[in-house]
Amino acid sequence: MVRVKTKEQTETKSKPETALARPWNVIVHDDPVTLMGYVTRVFMQVFGYDESKARKLMMEVHKTGRSIVWTGGREQAETYVQKLQAHHLLTTLELVDA
Amino acid sequence: MWVARVDEGWLFGDLSPRTAEILKGIPMLLESEDQRVRARLLPETLDDAAHEADWRAHAVPELERLFASRATLVGRDLAAMRKMQSGEKLLLLVTNQHASAWLAALNAARLALYALNDLTAQHMDMDSAEPATPQQLQAVASIHLMAEMQSVLMGEETLESCGPMADLDL
Repeated sequence: MVRVKTKEQTETKSKPETALARPWNVIVHDDPVTLMGYVTRVFMQVFGYDESKARKLMMEVHKTGRSIVWTGGREQAETYVQKLQAHHLLTTLELVDA
Repeated sequence: MWVARVDEGWLFGDLSPRTAEILKGIPMLLESEDQRVRARLLPETLDDAAHEADWRAHAVPELERLFASRATLVGRDLAAMRKMQSGEKLLLLVTNQHASAWLAALNAARLALYALNDLTAQHMDMDSAEPATPQQLQAVASIHLMAEMQSVLMGEETLESCGPMADLDL
């Protein structure tokens, strides 16, 4: 069923929809405690990355201090952040610059 | 301390009472209310205040429940430690089913010890000349012991290469 929207309703909803539609970066930050092998393992487990890609991202975190490990819709990005934080990786979520 | 792979999981043996005591602290570390620990285990996630508030309202309670559940599971395994036939040393079984929870719990405990003892990256280097209090040295030793257990559970250290693992008879 399709509902006809009034102009006001459409405008009210347009802002959050635009924000939701924009891609988000899932960022993992380095810490001096977590083992490198553990980080690689978590990337493989959470994203299904192969070992080579997971290790490459882990090394980026280690060498540069952070790495964008996934980019996409907000809902999925939040799910990934929660899973990474569940493994205690220092993770933040950032809206991609327009 | 030694470790052996058995059908049910990993058997850590010859744990000194001191090591056992340190491991028994893991559940408490996971559920610590200390702000330094909470800031690390449940970090600020989004720049925007409204988004962060939303995250705190919805995602953080789920994470807290998960940590509590892990603390309970690890606590049960630790409570099931039994004395070895010879003397005061103890035996701990980490089952295959509990290995993932243990890996994460050990990581959380290491991070919590780091935060609680105001450690720096320099302290984590065993050869570091960074000045440290006896309490900080003890925390670093505990962090390294837990790292060895993680490596074993991840299969990074073969049981042979492990040899007799460092114990904490400090």
